[in-house]
Amino acid sequence: MTDAGRVGIVLVSHSAALAAGTAELAGQVGGGEVVIVPAGGTDDGRLGTSIDKIRHALAAADNGAGVVVLPDIGSSVLTVRAMVADGEGVPEPLAIADAPFVEGAVAATIAAAVGGDVKAVASAAEEARHARKL
Amino acid sequence: MPASSEASITLAGDLHARPAGSLAIAAAMFESSIELTAAGHTTDAKSVLGVMGIGATSGQVVTVRATGPDAVEAVAAITGILANATKVGS
Repeated sequence: MTDAGRVGIVLVSHSAALAAGTAELAGQVGGGEVVIVPAGGTDDGRLGTSIDKIRHALAAADNGAGVVVLPDIGSSVLTVRAMVADGEGVPEPLAIADAPFVEGAVAATIAAAVGGDVKAVASAAEEARHARKL
Repeated sequence: MPASSEASITLAGDLHARPAGSLAIAAAMFESSIELTAAGHTTDAKSVLGVMGIGATSGQVVTVRATGPDAVEAVAAITGILANATKVGS
């Protein structure tokens, strides 16, 4: 564990409810030790993505140890990638996890709770695609 | 020298998502490698999705096996979590 605190997690979804619900679930499994910020839906509450919401979420999630972003599908991924490529207002270090949304969020939260760095947290999320549930 | 330790516990309740999270967090604090086995399925105790994935339910026997310098402490801690976290009504 570093003095900079734990890695924060941002969940980017087309749906505000999906992002918020996944954040709630991952937070419960992780024991409430990790900052998980949902960024779902458009600014006017429709399905879609909002650069403003994502930017605010990135800032809110950053404790100095960096942020791991999990996008759900489609334009969430494209929007996050474009923002990172642009670099403006993006915390450092930052990683985008190529992972299933719910399982990745849960695995990332546990990795962050035990003091993993951005790379370890993103890897934990990405390994979630191999986890069997049956 | 790596030591190993093993203990089994009968679950009082299902191994739900929340106890799986507590267990994986506790397991990560140990240097030893730690495995859980239930009904023929074995998983790394440090993997929350793995712990959920073994689908351990009330009445099943879960075996905790650790190998490494703090194996004895690890098995004690993990069996303690399994005993408490799966208490019925918790």
